[in-house]
Amino acid sequence: MFAATVDLIACRTCGLIAPRLSTLSEARCRRCASTVQARLPRSTEKTIAWLLAGVLLYGPANLLPVVYTSRVGGGESSTILGGIVSFWRSGAWDIAVLIFTASVVVPATKFAALGLLLWTVRQGSGWRREQRTKLYRLVEIIGYWSMLDVVVVALTSALLQFKAFGTAEPRAGIVCFCAVVVTTMIAASSFDPRLIWDERVGDG
Amino acid sequence: MALSTQTVICRDCDTVHRMVSLNRGDIACCVRCEAVLARYQRVDVTQALALNLAAAILLVVANVTPVLSIALDGIQTQANIWTAALSMERGWISCAALVLAATTLLVPTLQIGLLLWLLSFASAARRAPGLTTVLVVLHLLRPWSMTEVFLLGALVAMVKLSSWVSVAAGVGLWALAGLTIILAVLSKYEPRSWWALDKVFES
Repeated sequence: MFAATVDLIACRTCGLIAPRLSTLSEARCRRCASTVQARLPRSTEKTIAWLLAGVLLYGPANLLPVVYTSRVGGGESSTILGGIVSFWRSGAWDIAVLIFTASVVVPATKFAALGLLLWTVRQGSGWRREQRTKLYRLVEIIGYWSMLDVVVVALTSALLQFKAFGTAEPRAGIVCFCAVVVTTMIAASSFDPRLIWDERVGDG
Repeated sequence: MALSTQTVICRDCDTVHRMVSLNRGDIACCVRCEAVLARYQRVDVTQALALNLAAAILLVVANVTPVLSIALDGIQTQANIWTAALSMERGWISCAALVLAATTLLVPTLQIGLLLWLLSFASAARRAPGLTTVLVVLHLLRPWSMTEVFLLGALVAMVKLSSWVSVAAGVGLWALAGLTIILAVLSKYEPRSWWALDKVFES
């Protein structure tokens, strides 16, 4: 039994359940005063918009350097992938795998998973609803770990401030990367997982 | 908590459930999508308040002591959350500094502060002024707290730099580790269970 079919709505913020009064009026939760809606308004459109923004920013996030390090005898700019490769070559394969997971696997998973969810929801697909709901929860949980590289760059830049020995400075790529994390997190929270369960003829 | 015979609607798939009473250690899951609907718990105000006070102390320690430091030829550099964010304060890279400071400093501080506010009133058996607003704000802040990401980032930065110079772990790093553990314990309380502090609607 779905809440929508028995005219009940749960508040998304505090969980309080209220009978649906009218589809026209904008109801407010009597406990927390949040707007109560059967489904998040324009959920798929908003998710698509934020996801596209994330995909577009992902290019410069990977192509532009994220940090510039100067040492005695010269300096170099490195990208996220460049940083991973240099960890790998220096023998720190575990750190390389960790950063690769947080900076490449997590965003790629988010793009693919949200893309799949949006596509199937728009098709009104009944395919593996349970697994798709779990996929959505996975996207919500892993989302913020992509900030890892931003933290590493910030700490490196704060610590390496020796003019005689070496310095590190953040570069534009890190802003794009940070923006990818924020936009994809907003994309995930804009998506209403209940749409996965709505039948095409339903009143979603 | 008076969860028995209550109606619960799954957040993720909109399925309506009639709640059964839970025993210690029980977790109620959605029959259709297996989302966690509720856990057995009493909101133990004293315990939650104690954990929150510990979190507040550790948060202060983590921010006034160095998380990592490097000493080289008599010059020492130190870094914590604030200086890490400040190091990115250059032109439009400052946007990343803002996001970092918000998610690792501002949000955790607000979360701990607001919960302290609610719990200190609750421990005196009073409804905190502005309780509704505070709980809504806490709900909105929840996804944006990234203390554990900063901790892992600090460990990665330490390994990264140690191939080059010797990096020392400061008191702040241990404080962050403790804070991460306490925040994880506190997050076991379903955020919605704090609404039980709202006596007005408790039946």
